[in-house]
Amino acid sequence: MVHMIACLVVAAGSSYIKAGTLEVTVKDLKGAPVSDAVVYAKGNGTQLTHSPKQQVIDQQNKQFVPYVTAVQVGTAIIFPNKDNIRHHVYSLSPAKKFELPLYTGVPAAPVLFDKEGFVTLGCNIHDWMIAYVAVLATPYLKVTGNDGHVRLTDLPSGRYTVEAWQPLLKRKPEELAQVIDLSSTTSKAIAFSMELRPDFRARRAPDLGTGGYP
Amino acid sequence: MKRVRSALFGLVFMTASSSTYADWRFGAETGALYESNLSNSDRASDVQSDWAWQGEAHASNGLQLTRDLRLDVGTDFRSVAWSEYDAFNRIGAGVSTNLRYRFGLGRLAPWLLLDERIGYDHFQQSAQSRWDETAALRGGIFLTERMALEAGYTFENLASSGDFFDRQGHRLDAGMIFDLTSSLQVRVGYSFRNGGVISYAVPPRPDVFRIATVRVGDTAFGAYPLYNAYRFRAETHAASLTVGYTLTRYLSAQAGYEYSVTVHDSLSYENHRFEAKIIFAY
Repeated sequence: MVHMIACLVVAAGSSYIKAGTLEVTVKDLKGAPVSDAVVYAKGNGTQLTHSPKQQVIDQQNKQFVPYVTAVQVGTAIIFPNKDNIRHHVYSLSPAKKFELPLYTGVPAAPVLFDKEGFVTLGCNIHDWMIAYVAVLATPYLKVTGNDGHVRLTDLPSGRYTVEAWQPLLKRKPEELAQVIDLSSTTSKAIAFSMELRPDFRARRAPDLGTGGYP
Repeated sequence: MKRVRSALFGLVFMTASSSTYADWRFGAETGALYESNLSNSDRASDVQSDWAWQGEAHASNGLQLTRDLRLDVGTDFRSVAWSEYDAFNRIGAGVSTNLRYRFGLGRLAPWLLLDERIGYDHFQQSAQSRWDETAALRGGIFLTERMALEAGYTFENLASSGDFFDRQGHRLDAGMIFDLTSSLQVRVGYSFRNGGVISYAVPPRPDVFRIATVRVGDTAFGAYPLYNAYRFRAETHAASLTVGYTLTRYLSAQAGYEYSVTVHDSLSYENHRFEAKIIFAY
């Protein structure tokens, strides 16, 4: 009886917590949609999930898949090597420095991303292999597709600071921050306009240097 | 000695290619080449220019020995067909191995490369057919994400079937590579070579005869006028500009120009070399 009453109280209370939706579009300065942009909302009352689901970044055909991954702080990521050659995954980024030296198959343990920041991944053998992990202190995050659009759902009522980041972003994501209020409405749409740097990642095609991949 | 080296190459090649961790790389390239002074002549009346089609195919296998040390072994087939002076047409094959040490992780880390290649080139003018051996020590460093510096020393030894075309040379070179855009690269280079050269001239040339070994009546440039071929040591300074453009994930195009001047005392000759090619690698 006590349990039934408790359940009714919880159900009644939860009906007053509105779940908000945020539609976000990311474009460059020319108005073209920006893919691989991480959009995330930070609220004062943001509750981090205690055990974020483990994520996967594959190595396929000498490429990382996906190119950009967004995870909550405390997420473990596993790096399966699906090629029949060895890879050597590493990061020199302050937010997560690690190495998975020369391996095939699935590594024995995932890598825990326990500090907020943006992490650049590389392969020490195949210089063109590059990927990014955005490690954020919020569970409300997504990566844009080719249409430059994401929908953040299930945001509890309240005020949020929404930021966007992309590997080629020229400025700091805080400089693009927008504050939105989902107290009085359950959905909102905002847009970001990003200035991007030229993409200078190493090439897989033959280049003029001799020190890289032969 | 060549047999010992060939056996060593074979052993390394077989070991690397049978490895579980074989990381094969295949490539091919083809394009056009122009030499304004194919005859290496100092007198304007003797200068002969020509253009050629060239092609190359290669396969290599990489073996990461440690985090920083990589061994590559490869084989290549290459050919050059000249438009007019077919004495210089050649077809050849070679094996190569190199050991690269990188001082840290990632492509921006400084590196050193020890490279050795042995090949055989068969020339249409059979006297020029030769064993071709090069050994090189190269190094490079990224000064910024978009600018790299490379430099190296190369020893080359050409051992022809007839003694006349035997040559040895030492070459120092340096180059800067700039990433102008995400797909456009430019390389500016300089090289200095000290070694044997073959220069062709219509006799009589007592001034050249005095410093050179002579092959009288060489028909590489035809029978009339009949040239002599002269072999002597000289110094060559060359400046080059190469542009590379990435076309697809596996394909790029390169075009280059090199100006060189070769000097021995008062004798000197110039050459303008243009090259354009498509390169595929997988």
